[in-house]
Amino acid sequence: MLILGATNTMRKLLILSLGLILGACSKNPPIPQSGTTEWIDIESDLQKLFIQAKDSSTIEIPAGHYIFKKPLLVDGKKNLTIKGAGAEKTILSFAIQEEGAEGLKISNCKNLVLSDFTIEDAKGDNIKATDCKGIRFSRIVSQWTGEPKEENGAYAFYPVLCTRVVLENCIAIGASDAGIYVGQSDSVIIRNNEAYYNVAGIESENSRWVEIYGNIAHHNTGGILVFDLPGLTQFGHSTKVFNNDIYENNYRNFAPEGNVVATVPPGTGLMLLATRKIDIYENNIRNNKTAGCAIASYKMVEALSEGQSETNLTANVELAEKDEVYDPYPSKLQFYRNRFDNGYTFPSLKSDFGWLFLVKMPFNTPDLVWDGIRPPEGHLSLCTQDENIAFADLDAANDFENLSTDLSTYQCSAEAWALDLSSL
Amino acid sequence: MKKFSFFILLLAFVACQETSPDRIVKKGSLETAHQNDYPENLSEWNLFKKPLYALNPSEGLIPYDLASPLFTDYAQKSRFLKVPKDSIVKYHAQEVMDFPEGSILVKNFFYNDNQLEKFRVIETRLLIHEREGWKALSYVWNEDQSEAKRSLSGASIPLDLKRPNGEILHFNYSVPNEVQCKSCHELNGKISPIGPKGRQLNHKIAYGFKLLNQLEHWQERGILNDWPGAENSPKMVNYQSSHEELNLRARAYLDINCAHCHRREGPAKNSGLYLTYEEKSNYKLGFNKPPVAAGRGSGGKTYALVSGKAEESILYHRMQSLDPGVMMPELGRKLAHQEGLVLIKKWIDSDPLAMKE
Repeated sequence: MLILGATNTMRKLLILSLGLILGACSKNPPIPQSGTTEWIDIESDLQKLFIQAKDSSTIEIPAGHYIFKKPLLVDGKKNLTIKGAGAEKTILSFAIQEEGAEGLKISNCKNLVLSDFTIEDAKGDNIKATDCKGIRFSRIVSQWTGEPKEENGAYAFYPVLCTRVVLENCIAIGASDAGIYVGQSDSVIIRNNEAYYNVAGIESENSRWVEIYGNIAHHNTGGILVFDLPGLTQFGHSTKVFNNDIYENNYRNFAPEGNVVATVPPGTGLMLLATRKIDIYENNIRNNKTAGCAIASYKMVEALSEGQSETNLTANVELAEKDEVYDPYPSKLQFYRNRFDNGYTFPSLKSDFGWLFLVKMPFNTPDLVWDGIRPPEGHLSLCTQDENIAFADLDAANDFENLSTDLSTYQCSAEAWALDLSSL
Repeated sequence: MKKFSFFILLLAFVACQETSPDRIVKKGSLETAHQNDYPENLSEWNLFKKPLYALNPSEGLIPYDLASPLFTDYAQKSRFLKVPKDSIVKYHAQEVMDFPEGSILVKNFFYNDNQLEKFRVIETRLLIHEREGWKALSYVWNEDQSEAKRSLSGASIPLDLKRPNGEILHFNYSVPNEVQCKSCHELNGKISPIGPKGRQLNHKIAYGFKLLNQLEHWQERGILNDWPGAENSPKMVNYQSSHEELNLRARAYLDINCAHCHRREGPAKNSGLYLTYEEKSNYKLGFNKPPVAAGRGSGGKTYALVSGKAEESILYHRMQSLDPGVMMPELGRKLAHQEGLVLIKKWIDSDPLAMKE
């Protein structure tokens, strides 16, 4: 019943609403469309080439619009390069897919290079790469055409259980989970990419030694996420997120329920979940309506999923904890030299958090917000040098009773730690 | 092999293959090399006596059967093993046994005349144990059933399947391409057989007129080592047998249909959902476990398994689905397995979590 509290601020609300409507309009990026109605079927031959490819060879896919009914698989190749004639020229569409959940499915490769094509409209993930040692994605557009919708596949780029991953100069559009997703992987660089109209623009999950920089994440539900989930093959840490442009991530959340990103409130620039040793610096975080950066524990996610099932959540958390040495609380977080700016007066009201901020922090939606669910040691391990930012400790465990906006406890000088991924 | 890239020229647009109002698909082609590392025809392997379609094994080819088989669109399967002379299979109870180098596992996929218009063999898959590991080959049968040809890039075969209730199911049977084989047949990144584990073979089958325990038969033939005898080795239940305990039937079903990927060493290890017969953790089995990367596969549901509530369980939802982005298993089925669904629903609805406590 958060909305009832809003009456107190109704007057201000009315005065400001006109300014809001005029001031907050922003130009939306174009919805991607399928570029042609005439397609070429090379499915069987291209698959054959992928099977027959010798190590250290290059497969060039000529310019053309190609359409596939089955996934294309690449397995166990070394030093193979798969190259299109350019993202505008070589288009691989899975719009008529009848079988398999991925468009391009790569497994057990060493030093694979993928570049210069567009891949679109797979029933599941557009490109999934699993168990690879060394994989590079360059100049690839991976997208779902048409209005972003729940039926779109989960991930546009999906390296998982890989080491030495470089993803650069790519564009991800329309994923119903994450545009660029790296999961359970080590030594990862995600740089100079653009992600929009995804639920999560860029997401690193249960990964270690990750750099995310020079990216533009805009018009997603959440711009950049760093998550750690229980019950997986490894837990994440040591991630640097810097020099990214994260703006207008106010798109509606169209993730199918049940997925963890379905809990991301529209209007979230950055979100850190249950993860540790994360440096966030020199990012431009602008005009994300609900929160510039949200810090959450896994307990919060569990609580947010509560309405969706009658299952006993406490039992679930207990199971997760019993099962693994999983820390549901974020820790060792450092923020410095970020530029927060929010031209919106009101949070996005498409989530409960939006309503909460509207009521509890009227006209001052937080740049940095923590769910306030305290770890056993009592306090959040957060260090920030960013000043003049709106902060909120939500005290979510106690129904937001002691919501605090005092950031002073967390002011300290951050100490950058070394991460050398220059060999990638 | 830079030359390789030059082979890849778009050669020709041939005939119009398919037309829909907003989409025209024309056949194109890329130049590919001829593959001649293995025989082009199944008959060249000399595995079966003539006529080939009778699938009558040649000398040295030993039939075997699994307690709980994988569902493949209601196809019948006949399985055979060939081990090189004087070599020995090493017994493993819970994992695939160690087959000596040179072994061949043969699996025929066919439909009976009460399933299709007439008896028809669709494909024969071979797993060959080479020095560098297992190799998977697939041979697709021609319509007159005189020969099967090696298929590198798979095939799609339209069939009209009669169900016992009289219903006719039209579907495209899918023969996997040679990499797709590995999508299921993968263990620690390498190709591996799935079925012939000790516990799947510890039961009697007919050899001519004689009914014998398979492993005992192998032992008698002198091709099996380290087997402690039928009484001392585990035995998986047949999930089709209603006399067996519900929990074991369901676990056997999940093991053979899901656990080749959903195990710690399998390609779906990233999901954290492990469905082997031996798995002890309720959470790993999916009880109250949220999905990791299911995307719309979650169907708006929160947990893989909700004890007592099949309809709320993602696992059951994905078994029912025929949508490529949702369905499980991802490959090897185009139809829903009605009998499997009944079994798994009954199991989840029985509230197995409560029964364990």
